[in-house]
Amino acid sequence: MPLWLGVAPFAFAYAVLARNTGLSLVETQALSLLVFAGSAQVSAVGLFGRGAGGLEVVLTTFLLNVRHVLYGMSLGRVVPMTRRERLIGAYLLTDEAYGVSVARGARSFPFVLGTEVSLFLVWNATTLVGALVGGVIPDPERLGVDFVFPVAFIALLVPLLRLRVEVVVAVAAGVTAWLLATWAPGGLPVLGAGVSGALLGAWLTR
Amino acid sequence: MSFWLTCLGMLTVTFGSRLAGLLVRMRLPPFWLRFLHFVPIAVFAALVTPSVEGPRGEGGIRVAAAAVAGVVAWRTRHLAATIAVGLAVFWLLRLL
Repeated sequence: MPLWLGVAPFAFAYAVLARNTGLSLVETQALSLLVFAGSAQVSAVGLFGRGAGGLEVVLTTFLLNVRHVLYGMSLGRVVPMTRRERLIGAYLLTDEAYGVSVARGARSFPFVLGTEVSLFLVWNATTLVGALVGGVIPDPERLGVDFVFPVAFIALLVPLLRLRVEVVVAVAAGVTAWLLATWAPGGLPVLGAGVSGALLGAWLTR
Repeated sequence: MSFWLTCLGMLTVTFGSRLAGLLVRMRLPPFWLRFLHFVPIAVFAALVTPSVEGPRGEGGIRVAAAAVAGVVAWRTRHLAATIAVGLAVFWLLRLL
């Protein structure tokens, strides 16, 4: 699956950054195994590096990940799942798994689970490699590894843009998030621009 | 707060958000169905713009490389190719 090639450098970059801000090998891997949310993990590492408190990190994580409520509602609407499938599906749900499932028109749980598990395995395997290499690379920030993040989301976004109104929504949300990011912390610009952009799209297509 | 308490908090809010959406069972009116259609478009766009410029004063070449990546994504709809070309252009522009 080509998505691995997008996730792997992101996980590698996360792990290298984590080790460089003082997390141990076990701590770096634990976030990938237990939280499994790329943008939140990278943000958390950045906050750890600036000496932020745990509560601050948890709140930023919530701001970044509360959008998964919408992903879940969207997926649960088109894919029938049992209670146990919902527990497993929810634990492994990510932007990328949701993006691929929506883009490929997934209608069955095995397809969603297959996407999620493959992403989980690649994410964690590459985290381990990155965490081991992390001590060796002197200054990953100077290499600009964080640039993988916007490029990965460009790659997920652009194929979704087929109608003019979808382009309008993307531009509006992008500009809103960029303006909000000049004063609001972590995930709030994403949440605010995501909700207002989707509202705009629903209103424009009324 | 210790690392492990922070990790537990992150797990709780993340898994909670993911599970809540899947447990909500209701029939949504057409407006909210269209709203959900636009959520990934708006959220992915919102994830791009705040991080594209970067913190190290190389916004120009990052925006240029991102624009090239956008064109590749548009022409190929291929995720790996988009990322590979985006990074290659970025590192190339840095060397110049």
